[in-house]
Order: sequence, then C-alpha cells, then structure tokens
Amino acid sequence: MNLYDRLFPPKTFQLENGKTVKQRRSRMPLAVLFLVIMTYLSVKVTGFDMKILISRINQFFVILAQMFPPDWTYMSQVWEPLFATIQMSLLGSVIGSVLVVPFAMLASTNVIPNKAAVGVMRLFLSIVRTLPTLVTALIATYIFGLGTLAGTTAIAVFTFAYIGKILYEEIETVDMGGFEAMEAMGATKTRAFISAIIPQVLPSYLSNCLFCFEGNVRYASILGYVGAGGLGLILNEKIGWREYSSVGMILIALFVTVFFIETISRAARKRLV
Amino acid sequence: MIQFEHVYKKYPNGFEALKDINLTIQQGEFVAIIGLSGAGKSTLIRTINRMHDISGGRITVDGTEVMSLQGKELRRFRRKIGMIFQSFNLITRTTVIKNVLTAFVPELPGWRAALGIFKKEEKLSALEALDKVGILEKAFVRADQLSGGQQQRVALARTLAQNPQIILADEPVASLDPVTAKQVMDDFKKINQEMKITVLLNIHHVDLALQYAARVVGIRNGEIVYDGPANQVDEEVLNLIYRSDKEETA
Amino acid sequence: MKERIEKAYESRPRRWIFEAAIAAVVLLLLIWSGAGVETSGTTQNGGRIALNILSGIFHPDTDLLFNLTTEGVPYLLLETVCIAFLGTIVGAVISVPLAFLSASNLTPKPVAFLGRILIMAVRTVPAFVYGLMFIRVTGPGAFAGLLTMSLCSVGMVSKMYIEAIEDLDTKVLESLDAAGCSAWQKIRYGILPQLMPNFASTAIYRFDINLRDATVLGLVGAGGIGAPLIFAMNSYRWNEAGAILAGLIVLVLLVEWISTKIRVKLARG
Repeated sequence: MNLYDRLFPPKTFQLENGKTVKQRRSRMPLAVLFLVIMTYLSVKVTGFDMKILISRINQFFVILAQMFPPDWTYMSQVWEPLFATIQMSLLGSVIGSVLVVPFAMLASTNVIPNKAAVGVMRLFLSIVRTLPTLVTALIATYIFGLGTLAGTTAIAVFTFAYIGKILYEEIETVDMGGFEAMEAMGATKTRAFISAIIPQVLPSYLSNCLFCFEGNVRYASILGYVGAGGLGLILNEKIGWREYSSVGMILIALFVTVFFIETISRAARKRLV
Repeated sequence: MIQFEHVYKKYPNGFEALKDINLTIQQGEFVAIIGLSGAGKSTLIRTINRMHDISGGRITVDGTEVMSLQGKELRRFRRKIGMIFQSFNLITRTTVIKNVLTAFVPELPGWRAALGIFKKEEKLSALEALDKVGILEKAFVRADQLSGGQQQRVALARTLAQNPQIILADEPVASLDPVTAKQVMDDFKKINQEMKITVLLNIHHVDLALQYAARVVGIRNGEIVYDGPANQVDEEVLNLIYRSDKEETA
Repeated sequence: MKERIEKAYESRPRRWIFEAAIAAVVLLLLIWSGAGVETSGTTQNGGRIALNILSGIFHPDTDLLFNLTTEGVPYLLLETVCIAFLGTIVGAVISVPLAFLSASNLTPKPVAFLGRILIMAVRTVPAFVYGLMFIRVTGPGAFAGLLTMSLCSVGMVSKMYIEAIEDLDTKVLESLDAAGCSAWQKIRYGILPQLMPNFASTAIYRFDINLRDATVLGLVGAGGIGAPLIFAMNSYRWNEAGAILAGLIVLVLLVEWISTKIRVKLARG
C-alpha cells in the first residue's frame, strides 16, 4: 500500500494560519478501475448479453410455470429420499464436527506454542475447505459405491473443514486464565483443555454446528446428482424426464423441511448464546 | 435572542414535560440547564430547533416563531442552530473530514450533494473548524478510531462548520471521563467567548455547570425553579432544584 | 443456617431433566440416521481405488495445468473467475431492493415476512435446477452459469444485507436532521456511508463462496471449470482431475487471502 502512496503522493491542504495537513490519496479510483476492467473482461468471457436475457427470460418461467401446480400424488415417493437427505446431513454433520475437534485444538496458537505445527495444521484445514463438496462426493461414490454413505462422507468432510476454521478462531479468543491455572495445578494439556477451554467454547461451537447442519440439508440435496443418495437422485431423474410437476413437489417438500429445521435450530441457537 | 413565553409541552402519553416556561436568552450568553433526570432539560433544549413540538405558548428565535415553520423554512432555520448530542452521533465508518463536511450538505446544489463533491473552500473551512477544536491532525482518520472526547470534538467542529449563532448541547459530556469532559467544556467556553455564539447546554455535573456557565437555569418537574447567575447558586438553590418529591411530602 | 443451605440445595436448577431429554432425542435421531445409511454399495477394493485416486491427484497432468489454450487449466480458471465475479455483481445488485423490502425496521411486518419467505425459497432450490432453467434461456455455456450464480448469491447476500440494514445507527439521522438536511440528504449522508462498507464486504465474501461453488455449474454444462473436472473424474483420468483441482485450490486460497485482507480493511478502516 505504501507503493500506492509513493506513486500518488498525498495532497496537502494549507490553512490560513499556515498549518498544513496531508490527505492520502483515496484507493477508490483504483478499486473502481479494477471493477470496471473485471466487469468488462467477465462480460467478454462469459458472453453476457442483455438482449438475449431480456428477449428470452420468459423461457426461465416456462419451467417454473410447469412446476405449479405440483403433482401432490408424487409426494408418497418423496418421503424416503427426503429422510435419506436428512439422515445424511445429520450423521455427516455430527461425524465431521466431532472429528475436527482435536485438529482445531492443534491449529490454535494459544494451545500449541509451535508456530510451524499450527501453520501446517491450518494449511491442511484450508485445503480441505477448498475441495468442492461435489468432488468429495464423487470420489466417495467410487470408494463406497453409490448411495447415502458417499453423501454422508462428503458432508462430513465439508463440516470438518467449515467447523475447523471457526473452532480454532473461537479457541484463540478464549480467556486463557483457567487453562494456565489448571496447568499450574499439574493437569495435562488435554485435561486442562477439557475443563478450562471447552466450557467457554461449547455454546458457540454447538451453535455453529447447528448452523452448519441447516446449510448441509440444503447442500445434501445436490449430492444426489452425482449418485450420492438423497433428494438429488430423484430430482435429477425427474428433470431428465421433464416431469416438472414432480420436480415442483420435490422442491416444495425440500422447502418445508428446510424451513422447519431452520426454525427449530434457530430457536435452539438463541438459547445457546 | 431566544424567547420562551408560557410554553407547555405535553407528550401523547399525557406526561407534562414543560409547564409554563418563561425564559429569555440573549445572543452570546453561556447558559447551563441543570436538574434531575426526567425534569425536562432535554425537552426544553429540543423545542428550540423544533426537534420536539410544543403544545402551548410561543417560542421565538430572533423574532421567528418556531412553531410556524414548515419543511424548507424549518430546515433553513435549523442551519443557524448547531446541535451537539450525548452520543456524538457521528458516521463512524467514514473519515473525520467527511463528517464535518456534512455540515455543508443542505446548501449544496443537488448534483454535488448526490455525488458528494466538495469544493476546496469547503474542505478548507472544514479543516479550519477541526483546527479550532484542536484535532486538525485527525482530519483524514476514520471517526471510529478516535476516543470519545475526540469524537465529541468532531461533532463540535461539524457544528462550527455550519457557522451557527446558537449551539444547543444535550448532555455533551455525559459519556466522557472527567478530564476529557473538562477539555470539551473548555472548547465550548472558547467558542462562546471568541465567536460570540450563544451556548445553551444541559448537564448532569453541577460543578462543571457552575464553573463554566455564566447563567444557570434550574428545572424541576418541568418548571423553572431557579434562573440566575452561576455564582449565586448555593446549597439552598441546589436543594430547591434537586430535592425529590418524596422528601417534599415527608 | 443449615436449613438455608438445604433450601438453596433444594431449589438448585433442575436443568438435567431437560438436558437429558434433548440428549435422548439427539441420540435417537443419530441412531435413526446411522441405520439409514446404505453400506451395501461398498466394495472390497474401495481402499485400492482410493489409493489410485490419490496417486493420480498427486501426479497432476502438467501439460494440462500449463496449457494456455482455451482447453487448459489457466483459461478454465479465468472463465470460472469471470462467472463468479459477474454472478456476484448481478446477485449483489438484485439483493439491494430485496433486502430493503425485507428489513423489518423499514417495511411493515407482513411485507418483510413475505420478502423473507421469497428469499428463503430462492435459497432452497438447488443450483443445478437453476442451471437447467437458465440453459433454456441462454443455451449451455458460461452465460447460463453466471445467471445461475447470480440467483444463488441472492439468497445469502440479501440475508446479510438485511442484517446490516437492521443494525443501522439511526442517531446519525437525528444530527443531520438538526443540521437542516432533507430526507434524501439524510439517506445519502447518514445511511449510505454506513451501508457501503458492509455491502462491499458481503459481496467480496460471496465472491469467495461462488468461486468454491462454481464446480456445481459444470454438472449441467453451465460453463467454468466444473464440467472438465467432472468429466475427467467420470472417466477415471485422475491426473487431469488432479491438475484441475491443483489449479482450483491455489486460486481459491489466493482469492481467500486477498479478500480477507480487503474485508479486514473495510471493517477496521
């Protein structure tokens, strides 16, 4: 940033009584320039065309219109994959968020004094976090075969990465007095962690896990697309067969489920924090 | 000159905040209003620039009847009355100078106001205002990085840039520590003496009021119970102002 | 003395019944979920396949990785960035009116509630469904992808905008009012400066997420790096998948690093 100030030297204001103040040049023009260039480039690369969009946007609503009214009779076949989706997300969220605890502990600078070890652990968590869930799910289907186990694995991996980062940030902002007192009384690091840090972190940890679970229910519905079980499977099938009224039914079922889970989990999170 | 004639203020819930207020304040005075919380200090100050409406009587400022003003006229009228708040009321996420420059906004032509373009003279007079309250060097810092006292000075500079004849201050030092409070009060005194601006402030700290103001107005239950020079306020007067109703009936 | 202590002991909070009930419910749900997982698909050689995949991914196809034609990883990444970038911008713009309509401190309760339901509905529909719908509009390719990204962004972005709007500090408006500002001057100088950094920060954060999620678009042929990635994986060309993943991971980490820096700057000044 100092380079910017050297390229564009600060502007000086002189008051009547001779005093001067310097104003650093605003970064705004640079940001605007960057935005304009990126937008131009993106329009070129993606082939964005307002004319096509305006003239053909009605096509978007063609499918939407075919979804309503939904085919209510199809609901009887939705229950099973819907439950499978919830099961996948619940189990995956729990496995991921429990497994990550020791890793997050090792990635916190206030628990582990060794900077290199912390750095390696964080890089590992970051890389896991960049893995697209779809890719994890696809790989999981090759290993565990088609079905909900693959989906559960993919969700566990995603939860692991998501909760990991939040958890080590949470642990780092904890008040360390209790931990030090426990260590001074002769407790091991693990024992001190359990009785001094966990009670402080637990409410927000549980709250974040619930939040992640909410998102996972939504996400789990995509995984079926690569054969990892749940709603995505029938969604893909019905779209393929152009049975849009069934698609509408599936989406409504998903919406209601997500609404309920979000309402319950939001109420629970309010009690936690 | 600010003039209250038989002013009443009744809130919609029936609470009578001001009862038969008669008060005349000459240009250039430094007046402190003291009293218990809820006595009507804040209401009294806010009726002058019509942040609150009154329900009876007349308030005139330099001959203009405040309650007769509407829309554009009211906004023009408010230009010559600066106002300072307990909580500073700055836009904390922008720089100090931008906060001060908002003082000019009502007078800008529409397109300049929309784009936020200010002329060099305007920027310079904003800087001068900041210099008067001694925080020129903070001009291009974001307001949320300043201490409470510095933020109140930014608010003061914003008001000065407005070039007012009157400054109303609603508990200006209530959220500041004692030392900073004194510094801000010094600023008020300087502004009052050097620029002949009327300063009317309500304040919790009696000692600060007596030390800085020339005239003190004591309010109890919406009525003026004392109005006179600060150096004549004694134990008896303070009792009159701060004695609670309970003791009265006992 | 003793009585008082006993009394205090008697009146201790009996949270445990409630907590035990919650624990029991959670445990039952877990058992139910565990029972529902199909393990029958797991084959004996799952472990061997996993090793194959890993060795492929760790020996990325460097020809593909540094190929500068439109087939190569660099161009695919550029296309993905462009889809995510424009998708974020369009989504962020659409979110502004939606958020103002759904902020409970500005609009009447029923309107705000309807707005929220709409936002939730938009968020619930999986990305590939949108992808398929937009392909009807634009034909397959990056254009459809960018429209899908926009719509997917709207859900989260407008939710965060609403929070920013509901957190507005209205005291500033009081002081602008006292200085004689008109209604729209109060919006321009009291509200916009508060919202702008927040909105910008949200958009940058969403750009991060869009870049991560861009692979989903490949599923339906809506452009970006997803399609070649899924294609390579489906045909067991793990070296190619490794090359694409390596590029994607480096790009995402880089963008995340930069965007975190900018967002910290926006928050602290």
